[in-house]
Amino acid sequence: MSGVSGVSQGNQSVLKVRRRLSSKKLLRRLLRLALEYRGPCTAVVLMQITLVVLSLSTLGITGLGIDYLSSQVLKNSAPPQWPLGLHPPATWSPLQVITALSGLILIVAMLTAALKYLAAIASSALSQEVLVRIRTDVYSKLQQLSFNFYDAGESSSIINRAAGDASNVRNFVDGVIIQVLTVLLTLTVYLVYMLKMHVWLTLVCLASTPLLWVGAIVFSKLVQPAYRQASELSDVMIRTLVENLQGIQVVKGFARESEQAARFQEANHNIRDLKETIFFRISTFQPTMGLLTQINMLVLIGYGGTLVIRGELALGTGMFVFANLLHEFANQVSQITNIANSIQTSLASAQRVFEVLDEPIQIATAPNAQRLERVSDSIELDDVSFGYHPDRMVLHHVSLKIQSGECIGITGPTGSGKTTLLSLLKRFYDVRSGSICLDGVDLRKLNLDDVRRAMGIVFQDSFLFSNTIAANIAFGIPDATLEQIAAAAKIAAADEFIRELPDQYDSMVGEHGSNLSGGQRQRLALARAIVTNPSILLLDDATASVDPETEFEIREAIVAAMHDRTTIVVSNRMSTLSQTDRIVVLQDGTISATGTHDELLESCDWYRELAELQGLTAGPVSRAVVDCGNHEAMRKH
Amino acid sequence: MSRVATFRQSITRHIEREDEPRQKPLDFRLIARLMDATRPYGRQRFWLLVSVVIRAVQLPALTWFIAALIRGPIANKDSAGVIQGAIGFALLAFSTQFVMHYRQRLALELGESVVTDLRNQLFRHMHRMPMRWFHTNRIGRVISRMTSDIEDIRIGVQEVFYVTLVQFIQMGIAAAAMIWYDWSLFLIVLGLAPVIWVINRHFHRRLSNALRNMRESFSRVTATLVESVVGIRVTQGFVRQEENARIFEELSLDHSRYNSKVLKTHGKFLPLLELNSQIFMAVLLLVGGYRVLTPGHTTEIGDLVGFFFMANLFFSPISILGNQYNQAMTAMAGAERLYRLLDTEPEWVDPPDALQLNTIRGHVEFRDVTFGYDADRPVLHHISFKAKPGDVIALVGHTGSGKSSIINLVCRFYLADAGQVLIDGHEIRSIAGHSLHRRMGIVQQQNFLFSGTVAENIRFARPEASDADIMDVLRKLDCEDLLTALPEGLHTRVGEGGAAVSSGQRQLICFARAMLADPAILVLDEATSSIDSATESRLQNALEVLLHGRTAFVVAHRLSTIRHADQVLVLDHGRIVERGTHDELITHDGIYAGLYERFAQH
Repeated sequence: MSGVSGVSQGNQSVLKVRRRLSSKKLLRRLLRLALEYRGPCTAVVLMQITLVVLSLSTLGITGLGIDYLSSQVLKNSAPPQWPLGLHPPATWSPLQVITALSGLILIVAMLTAALKYLAAIASSALSQEVLVRIRTDVYSKLQQLSFNFYDAGESSSIINRAAGDASNVRNFVDGVIIQVLTVLLTLTVYLVYMLKMHVWLTLVCLASTPLLWVGAIVFSKLVQPAYRQASELSDVMIRTLVENLQGIQVVKGFARESEQAARFQEANHNIRDLKETIFFRISTFQPTMGLLTQINMLVLIGYGGTLVIRGELALGTGMFVFANLLHEFANQVSQITNIANSIQTSLASAQRVFEVLDEPIQIATAPNAQRLERVSDSIELDDVSFGYHPDRMVLHHVSLKIQSGECIGITGPTGSGKTTLLSLLKRFYDVRSGSICLDGVDLRKLNLDDVRRAMGIVFQDSFLFSNTIAANIAFGIPDATLEQIAAAAKIAAADEFIRELPDQYDSMVGEHGSNLSGGQRQRLALARAIVTNPSILLLDDATASVDPETEFEIREAIVAAMHDRTTIVVSNRMSTLSQTDRIVVLQDGTISATGTHDELLESCDWYRELAELQGLTAGPVSRAVVDCGNHEAMRKH
Repeated sequence: MSRVATFRQSITRHIEREDEPRQKPLDFRLIARLMDATRPYGRQRFWLLVSVVIRAVQLPALTWFIAALIRGPIANKDSAGVIQGAIGFALLAFSTQFVMHYRQRLALELGESVVTDLRNQLFRHMHRMPMRWFHTNRIGRVISRMTSDIEDIRIGVQEVFYVTLVQFIQMGIAAAAMIWYDWSLFLIVLGLAPVIWVINRHFHRRLSNALRNMRESFSRVTATLVESVVGIRVTQGFVRQEENARIFEELSLDHSRYNSKVLKTHGKFLPLLELNSQIFMAVLLLVGGYRVLTPGHTTEIGDLVGFFFMANLFFSPISILGNQYNQAMTAMAGAERLYRLLDTEPEWVDPPDALQLNTIRGHVEFRDVTFGYDADRPVLHHISFKAKPGDVIALVGHTGSGKSSIINLVCRFYLADAGQVLIDGHEIRSIAGHSLHRRMGIVQQQNFLFSGTVAENIRFARPEASDADIMDVLRKLDCEDLLTALPEGLHTRVGEGGAAVSSGQRQLICFARAMLADPAILVLDEATSSIDSATESRLQNALEVLLHGRTAFVVAHRLSTIRHADQVLVLDHGRIVERGTHDELITHDGIYAGLYERFAQH
């Protein structure tokens, strides 16, 4: 896990920050979040404080015991000061008093243990509630965000927002807030207790505490930047590793292992060198702070000792208790550095989490959108212009009317906007100008889910989830029966090879479909689209990356799938294009020609050239001659 | 999780279980290896040990000093004694912190040194592995060995042993002091020991189970998260957002249940442990009080106070030790995973007497070669062919017919299971890998660029090449203008965080990289698939000149290349089914002619 976070931290710089919230605003929002859980938070803090009081009473009772014993044994000792005016009955023997006191310690100890358990349960319940909420909020938001968001970001950084960042934000509520309150209240309790014992002794003993505070601040200012630098260096180290794993064929193919090892070693040693300065600072700071707290103890011995000698301070309830309190006090103060670090981490993560939660969902169903059952009449693009960036248009004034039941081929060179056109139909993006209408209604006035359900899509890269084949096909209809799934697979010519697999429909698909061939993946993707029984089928160059043999099989499947549907197929292959009713040639984002295969052979130079290249120069295993990197269109902007 | 999970109830089912090592209490073999890893830093380790031991004495001494002052001079109202004591305390405190500085710095430095060494070791080990290893190991696993596992080991090396030592010595000294004060009171302490032991055992098992469940449920959460983000287009295309969100919430809840289980177990464990010291205090007060009050017993009030202080010193290490034990377990789990990887011997390495070929002419011969990625499923059967220096060999066949496997054998990424691959008459496995690869150029369909500039990427093949050498190669490839047209020319940064170069430009960079190596054997695996036709035809012309005198293996992408090949090998299901020149094969009117016709028939 830390691997993922390590890599993603390097990417944070790449991911553009949309609206950087100020620390004050972030803090306010985090506090507001914590306020929603004020009930459980208060309960946990109260329990923690009660625990502090309980531990103080154990200490007090022990001190009392010592004083009582002293007064019994030593002639010149002052009688113990019984707290809250509680005197043991005069009839009790000293042994009875001691028994009572140790009984009390035992009772308090039991109470402490029980309360600690309750506090653990309460704080775990709180922290899980907060975490699940933040995580699911981020996740469901991520699921709905438009592609613009994903286009800009690195996926590992996006992933980390729902994993590590969510957890750090949670830590603010159940860690930072509770810790701050507990530490503050505890310090107050200690302070009050100590002041009640002896005002001057307290003040003198704690005189150096502000120094601790100042020291902590100076230290974190000194070390934080170095830490940040170290984490950047370790990103470099991790990146070298990742690149060597991904590009191992290049490294081995050019026999550059030793250079790479030297590069890695250098990255590695850079980290060590920097860390050594950090280590020096840490190991100077912490003992210095330790010395400061021991100075408090020194003061206690000197001044407190004198007080005991003068009879102004009891040995047990005074000296013994005070020494222990000072120890605890120093422990609490040293927590402050940790808290400050946690706050920093929480703020940085909160920035990334809120960025996701605040990101507007650009494409959503309008308030009074119409429902859409089936597309029965037409798809109409009217003067559509679109660009991923407003200043770089990909499609210019495209107008096209497709009748229900038609089969349209879209072809054109790389970057001409073919895939973009399909994305607009599916409303993955909204047009910048013009309109797209289904059955005469603008896409933006229709229910978004209905629009997307009306169109089945086969993506170019046929992404599959690491799940069973059945689950992958049923992705669009989670409650599909096995019969429905098998029926769709049959149409997509996938049933046969699925039945040959060891577990048939329950066979697992490997990471990104690694255990299936390109053709098999494409057919599963086709079945996934068919099972939803869409009125419109969008095929994005489904045959680009497969050999002719497989292409032949898929083509048959596609023809079967087209039956009774409007189909729009992006392709540069003559074999596919020649089977469509009408072909649209896209060049530089405009429609340069439309017509049937035969018409275009006559009228469109580009198309004729494409056909000639494939007819005359196509190799048996070759991909379509004119490059088919449609994917670039999605990335290039 | 319930096993009812049907296909609807999950987004991904990918879980890695193999990384959970078997939990053994303490594996001395592993400990010995970790100790070994610190051996190069013997001096540091020695001084660390010294400072740790000094500190282990200093810490109880400080407490003892305070106790002694309170029960001695203070209780006896001896002002001079108090002042002397205070001075003594100040000196002791200062020396303690002085030692602390070295103890801390040496530990941190030792940890960092070991971590650095292990990282370098792992990286070099990785490079020794043959290609098969990279195809069967997921990147994420290697990364987590390099990061989280090595970090766990760091804690083990720099903390666990030394902290444990300090705590044990501290307990020992506290025990000795208590015995010295009053040995019979110390028996009470001993009586509590078995109780503590039982509590520890009971909870240790529960905790490690709970932790494992928690980690597994978390890997379900992250696996789902990763696929959801990567597959977002499919999700929105099929309107699965709400369904996915529901499933994810269930997974999160599931994980949080395991998480709570861990926290609750901790919540029982720690208070129970601490209860022991409280009980001890109560018993001590009772017994000690009884003995102080009863005439005839010699217990003094001052001894009792000292005992109270020392009891604290004795009990506080217990929870620290418990914590250290957990860290030791984590460190050892990490060490076990790391060493398992480091102990994986490469299937094959260069033989000790490997041939260093200074010149390679480019004679390649396959003699009855059979090969499979799994030994029992061969993908190449009895392949034999010869390529003379300067020959162009075209490989034709559909996906899975074995083209890439032949390429993998030529590149010596894999070794044949049977038969021989000969380079210039030498068996390929007897040649030193470096001397072979230095004279080989490989361009693939998947083009990998490292983060860095274009020039750095081209220079990868020959780090000593000058800028002029690079420009020369680009000119020869007739693509100089295309790369210098990039925003910052050859100094444009590519790879992560760099400028977007098109896949065509990437392939050109890879071409230049391969040609810079001045290869005797050139492998082009769908090398021009992303380059547009205009550029490709320029490149094609350039290649005709560049291929001169080099043996080239070309996985067919354009018929023009195939047509000019000296030999076309048509592969089907791992066998060569036809061979000859393009014209011969067309005349032969066999499979090749059929494939060609089918594709060109429209």
